[in-house]
Amino acid sequence: MTAMQDMLNDPVANFALSIADDLLMLGHVQGDWTGIGPILEEDIASSSMSQDDLSHALMLFEHLGNRFGLDADVIAYERSPEDYRCCDLVTVPDEFDWAVALTRRWFVAHWAAPALERLGTSDDDELNERCRRLRSEQGLHLSYLDDWMRRLGAGEGHDRMQAAMTSLAPQACMLFELPTGLDDEDHRSRRDEIFEAWSRATTAVLTDAGFSVDLTMPSEEHIGGRRGAHAKHFVEQHTEMNEVRCEDPGASW
Amino acid sequence: MSGAANPVMPIDPCQEDPEKLAEFEANIANGVLIEPGDWMPEAYRVGMLRMSEHHANSEIVGALPEGEWITRAPSLRRKLALTAKVQDEVGHGQMLYRVSQDLGKSREDMLRDLCTGKTKYHNCFNYPAPTWADIAMIQWLIDGAAIMNQKTLADGAYGPYVRTMHRINMEEAFHFKSGEDMVLTLMSGTKKQKQMTQEAFDRWWGPSIMFFGPPDKPGCEDMPPMRWRMKIETNDSLRQRFVNRFAPAARDLGLVVHVCEKNEEGFVTQKQVDELCTPDEDGNWGFTTPNWDEFFKVIRGNGPCNAHRLALRRFSYEQGAWVRRAIASGDTTLPPAA
Ligand SMILES: [Fe+2]
Ligand SMILES: [Fe+2]
Repeated sequence: MTAMQDMLNDPVANFALSIADDLLMLGHVQGDWTGIGPILEEDIASSSMSQDDLSHALMLFEHLGNRFGLDADVIAYERSPEDYRCCDLVTVPDEFDWAVALTRRWFVAHWAAPALERLGTSDDDELNERCRRLRSEQGLHLSYLDDWMRRLGAGEGHDRMQAAMTSLAPQACMLFELPTGLDDEDHRSRRDEIFEAWSRATTAVLTDAGFSVDLTMPSEEHIGGRRGAHAKHFVEQHTEMNEVRCEDPGASW
Repeated sequence: MSGAANPVMPIDPCQEDPEKLAEFEANIANGVLIEPGDWMPEAYRVGMLRMSEHHANSEIVGALPEGEWITRAPSLRRKLALTAKVQDEVGHGQMLYRVSQDLGKSREDMLRDLCTGKTKYHNCFNYPAPTWADIAMIQWLIDGAAIMNQKTLADGAYGPYVRTMHRINMEEAFHFKSGEDMVLTLMSGTKKQKQMTQEAFDRWWGPSIMFFGPPDKPGCEDMPPMRWRMKIETNDSLRQRFVNRFAPAARDLGLVVHVCEKNEEGFVTQKQVDELCTPDEDGNWGFTTPNWDEFFKVIRGNGPCNAHRLALRRFSYEQGAWVRRAIASGDTTLPPAA
């Protein structure tokens, strides 16, 4: 069995990959906004968050790389699409609608923080230590993004944000699809706990800001990205990510 | 990177109070920094505003060609570095718009004038960046040129601009290092990578030579932009310094300096080795005089990428309008701190 397959068969690795792939793809798609954000200050803040997201993904890939004898970039770039564990939300195309981009990031941030807390209770001290660091940095995103949500609850922003939330809510709930390899009672109950924390935290902000969204746990039958069934746009984004690497495979860049 | 601003200003210092003007010029001669609240000739204020606004515009337009490559960066470390780099450039723009605001123009007006084409940005961003190696070249050559220029501007007389240059230059040094590392990695790579890099170098060498602006007019040292230390060194002397630094560095990396013909899209159609590109006995490297007609054509808006860059700026301005309005109608006009 190859090192890559070993990794993909490991439950903790799959949970780590679900977080790492979410942050990787979020940082990747948000890259489209760098330099063209609605306000210079927000453009700068958004780039900071993207760098955090990408470097958090990298830290998790590095951990997995050390554990399974793989190169972090190979894990990040070279898996086949069905071996990515990111959920459907992170790759939803925003069509350069900033309301969609902000809402997407806000939903993910509220998931990433408790998910990292969970991952940080593994048997591996080294992984737990990484998760602690990442969790505290993701926490900074939360307060920044919550602030924006509250700010946009009134006036012209309200309708645009409400529309974005309504359209993203089904995919947002797919954050909680159990990744391949984690289909046991223990993971199920942990997942339910994170869902509780997530819906409580997001609903509190939404109520404050005057938005309303229906957030429910997706049904088991709905198979999505966490189990490798990705939308066409994910495959396109993955291809774009690999465009330069594929020009001269194996070369160092 | 950033823009070398070439202030072209309608200067008529004679209209000013001669005593105040004499004191202002004496202060500049003595190295006293001019601050926003100080008396200054109207022509100086307008000239500094134009220069700083042009520089700010160049930073945020300069973010565009590189920003388009973030999603394609070939490793996570390069992706992170490029995101940080483009973020720096936007940050430079933000700082310079603030300097400009204090000189009397609102940011909203500046952003609008930029996307309607009323104000300009640095010419070099109107050229295409079709490969990853172009991104390496921008960070190496264009950021390298920007550092040379901005180091002299940090010696200027207008306090807020000078302090901004000091801050910016520290970050530009990182961009340059990262560019150098990218070029070195590519030139130590495969045959295909080397070829890609040579082709990108061919595209960017010309715009780099033109980076510092057209040849200086005789007597420019005594004209207000230099007399008032808005500009410290002539275009030609900066250009020579650039060639002295980069022509041998390119040769050491295995790159060849070519004289190129380009088509409307900015792609090289014909090239031959630049025979003038060797050092003379004083150590000054020669170079073939660039095509200044092309330079002015691009300035007038007819370069390969003018329309594309402006359209993207305009798109950004328009799609962000509702966010700016939403914030302006709230309690505060500033977004939350990151
Ligand atoms: Fe730069
Ligand atoms: Fe810059």
